[in-house]
Amino acid sequence: MLFALSLFPALAGLAIWAWGDGSRLRLGLMAGGATVVTLLLAVLAAAQGWTGGFTWGAGLELQLALTPLSAAVALTVPAVALAVLVFAAAHDEACGLARLLGLMLVFCGAMELAVTAADLLSLLIGWEVMGFCSWALIGHLWRDDATMASGRYAFVTTRLGDLGLFLALMATWRGAGALDYAALGRLDGLPLALAAFGVLIAAGAKAGQGPFAPWLFRAMDGPSSVSALLHAATMVAAGAYLLARLHPWLASAPGWSGAVIALGLATALAGGAVAVMQGHAKKLLAASTSAQLGLMFVAVGAGYPGVAVAHQVAHAALKAPLFLSAGIAGDAAGTYRLRAMGFLRTLPWVAGLTALAALALAAVPPLGAAWSKEQITAAAGHESLWLGLAVMVAGAFSAAYAARFWWLAYGPGDVLPKARPRWSGMAALGALALACLGLGLLWLPPVQDTLPMRLPEGKPLEIAVSLTLLAVGLLAGLTLARRETAPEPRAADWLGLPALIERGIIRPFERLAALAARLDDAVLDAIPRGAATGARHVARGGRRAWGAMQADRDIFNAAVWQVAAMTRAVARRSDGAGETLCDGLPEGAARITGRSGADARRLQTGLSHHYYAIFGIGALLAILMLIFGKA
Amino acid sequence: MLTLAVLLPFAAAALLAFAPVPAGASRAIAIATAALALLALVVVWAGFTPGAGFQAVTEAPWLPALGVAWRVGVDGLSLPVALMSGLLFVAAIAWPMEREVNARQYYAWFLFLEGASLGLFLTLDLLLFYVFFDLSLVGMYFLIGRWGHGEAQRAALKFFLYTLAGSLLILLAIIALVLMTDPLTFDMRELIALQPVAGMDVRAGLILLGFVIGFAIKTPLFPVHTWLPPAHVDAPGPASAILAGVLLKMGVYGLARIAMQMMRETFAAWALAIGIVALISILWGSIVAFAQENFKRRIAYTSVNHMGYAVLGIAVAGSAVTGHEAARDLALAGAVVEMVAHGLITGALFLIAGAFWARTQDYELDHYGGLAGNAPRMMAAMGLASFASLGLPGLASFVAEVQIFIGAFAIWPWLAALALLGLIVTAALFLGMLQRIFFGDRPPALDGFTDLTRTEGCILAALLALVVLIGVWPAWLLDMIAAGPALAFGGG
Repeated sequence: MLFALSLFPALAGLAIWAWGDGSRLRLGLMAGGATVVTLLLAVLAAAQGWTGGFTWGAGLELQLALTPLSAAVALTVPAVALAVLVFAAAHDEACGLARLLGLMLVFCGAMELAVTAADLLSLLIGWEVMGFCSWALIGHLWRDDATMASGRYAFVTTRLGDLGLFLALMATWRGAGALDYAALGRLDGLPLALAAFGVLIAAGAKAGQGPFAPWLFRAMDGPSSVSALLHAATMVAAGAYLLARLHPWLASAPGWSGAVIALGLATALAGGAVAVMQGHAKKLLAASTSAQLGLMFVAVGAGYPGVAVAHQVAHAALKAPLFLSAGIAGDAAGTYRLRAMGFLRTLPWVAGLTALAALALAAVPPLGAAWSKEQITAAAGHESLWLGLAVMVAGAFSAAYAARFWWLAYGPGDVLPKARPRWSGMAALGALALACLGLGLLWLPPVQDTLPMRLPEGKPLEIAVSLTLLAVGLLAGLTLARRETAPEPRAADWLGLPALIERGIIRPFERLAALAARLDDAVLDAIPRGAATGARHVARGGRRAWGAMQADRDIFNAAVWQVAAMTRAVARRSDGAGETLCDGLPEGAARITGRSGADARRLQTGLSHHYYAIFGIGALLAILMLIFGKA
Repeated sequence: MLTLAVLLPFAAAALLAFAPVPAGASRAIAIATAALALLALVVVWAGFTPGAGFQAVTEAPWLPALGVAWRVGVDGLSLPVALMSGLLFVAAIAWPMEREVNARQYYAWFLFLEGASLGLFLTLDLLLFYVFFDLSLVGMYFLIGRWGHGEAQRAALKFFLYTLAGSLLILLAIIALVLMTDPLTFDMRELIALQPVAGMDVRAGLILLGFVIGFAIKTPLFPVHTWLPPAHVDAPGPASAILAGVLLKMGVYGLARIAMQMMRETFAAWALAIGIVALISILWGSIVAFAQENFKRRIAYTSVNHMGYAVLGIAVAGSAVTGHEAARDLALAGAVVEMVAHGLITGALFLIAGAFWARTQDYELDHYGGLAGNAPRMMAAMGLASFASLGLPGLASFVAEVQIFIGAFAIWPWLAALALLGLIVTAALFLGMLQRIFFGDRPPALDGFTDLTRTEGCILAALLALVVLIGVWPAWLLDMIAAGPALAFGGG
């Protein structure tokens, strides 16, 4: 039954795509309707505790189930997707709109599969189909060579991470003989380590952590609505969710929690720094996604997966409107350069709604994201004082780049917008911004009591320090934004990581492949060519021998003569027979043979004699083998 | 019924060769014959009980003194591959000819090749196996040489000589294997039961080496794969599809049926070595494919990669490591699914390559671009086939590869982990190919490029629908294979 939650949006998406382009209203209604149904399915599934099972064959089984954590994410996905799809139907290019909306729905379906999966195989299926959707959506405007190249970059990078999931799957099967999540609990030693770190690699790749971060920048070549979906509801968000979902079984792997914290914290700080420097509206947000996902990783590593998921939901509610807003500003300015924006006067409503989301990103109370961020700070503080402080610094970065983003995009300026948002797009933006506000309820203790998870206890001093740093961050961001003049520093491109990957991995691999191809042609192909040359020599030797034998047969060994004569005879007879047959017997039963003979003759090249020579040698070998084999 | 499936194509081939049938009628006869052969196989499938050994067996004495007889029958290993071959032959024959010359002979050779191919998978007699193995070379040689393009004759000859050298080794090995039985028998079932070389000295190793080298050339495995690219590039599209889809399977099938089943002990002793060769093929095939600028060559090299997975599965299944029976079953089922999946997927890819040649006579990636606008159906077909080939879940190859990986990891973890790297390279190379053909700017020369015709579209849709079906619901195929001990060690 639970399969319906992923199958319905996927099939509906394919149907919308197959139906084809049309009026925005029809497409918007169809896509929006399908998402609403998905949302209802998610509500029903969560309320009634649906499960799903499907026999794969060969002893493998696909299993789906919902836990409180996964139910929260399963609800968030269609809810955010609804707003994004409505926005896309209103704003994206009419040509190819059906494909865009359809693929977004498929994307949600794949995400729901990964969210509801209760075994590693189902997870892997949803996980990789998401990769495909990201490729197709990033390359949506396919006439531009660069977008497709970026789609490929994204797919290959995230698939590199998927190999970790393959590794986890193989190790789990070897260690426990099954693939369901519970089997992870029966692992220990090396299989557990492989499974745990494999999952970490897969999650890190999707979530744009550490060395995998640059794909998120390349993904910015897709439409803004795609970015919104990718960062808020699917794909990237899946990384943090996966760690949170599997935390109960993987946390016991030695060194795993530490590695998760290290990866998350490093990305949170580096991503924050990059976002503070970025001058491209969407890339700024992309770097901030990496940083926020890094915070969620820290929460999981510190032992609070529930907090990570809470922050994920809050982040979905704020990142989607920010990307949609960046899309509006980008359309209005004709570019995504932040310096060319400044729409406070001309787009006041958008500016106001975006401010809500930006404040949420900055984690300013009483917004929901601020609560979840403080929970992460508290969780990190439980782990160690320094970790808590580091998370607060990362929080200050969030405040800085959020403030800088809003001020540059929607601060005072006298730029006239080239395009204005439609009312349905505004509605989508507004709904999401209100959701950010609504999540502020999380600050209320009665609401917290209903949450089905363990919460860390924050100390008042911690909160005070955290809020102080936040204020410093906000001020710094505003100052930076007002002084924004110079071209962005080179480090803004992920601290030079993409260039390093290009020079250290991609180009060497291309050179390696080219070398392998040359070797393949030159060296490996030398085996048959050598054999052919050898055969030619044998044939030539035979011919010479033949000539010599004409002069004086007696001085030659009879056996050599026999072999040479046999080779020649076989060669002449076949050749002659072919000719006789096709010339002499045009009719009757021999005709088919004649046809083959004719074909053979047409194909004759000088090499055919070598074939006969090889055949002769082979026959000789066969005879020898039989003699010795019997003996 | 199986006899019918083998002999019908031969009979129709003879008819087309003798009788002066017009081109249109010969095409109709060929399609009808291929469809009937497929139907015969489907009828056998309908009465097939999974996991119950060889079925639908027919025997007719031929050379009793040598133990040779006309024996046909199927089990979970051969039936899926034979069904796939039958379907692929219908598709390849129904595919429009690239150069419409000598249509009657073209279809005659195709039917001849179909008879030989189905015969190879269906026969239970080792001598007939060898005869069909060589006949398939002959059929393919003429199809490439006469209806190919470029340096077709040279490529055909290279293919012929190279694989013939392999088949000579196989012949020697077959003779040596059979000579160990007393009284002489070529009956595969008896040979599997007898295990003629069990507990023997170095000769058993030599016989296995003969089989492995011979089948490795056909499969093809590193380093004896270099006949494959020229043969594919210069062959007409449908012949390429059969070459990749059906003929390459003969190598893997032979390895499983003969080397693994009839020489259980010897194979197990050498399984790791075979697995390592498979691993090198997986990596080398994908890396070399990545650097190819001619897209048909690129697809051809991915066959080396995919057949590497299949052979890895066979090596794992035959490794006879105790305590890992489930893993070996999984790997063997994966290998059989890989054969079926690769046949359908690469068959479709080569048919599409044929469609490109028919329109532009060009395989250079650099000369393409932006075709998604002109040819959306072609883009959809090639995109689906490419993603299937790179192992996207929900499509057939994934089913095969994930099982092979799981099985291999249980036996040789490091080997499976290294083989994973092939996945990433194939992803990069297929996406690069799609990008350069279909996206970006369109060169002006391609303005008149036309989309798939109705015939082409229907054929590809049928093949790819099956790829999706296996991908989303593999149970029916896996049940048919029913890889249990009975299969790994010969029908019960």
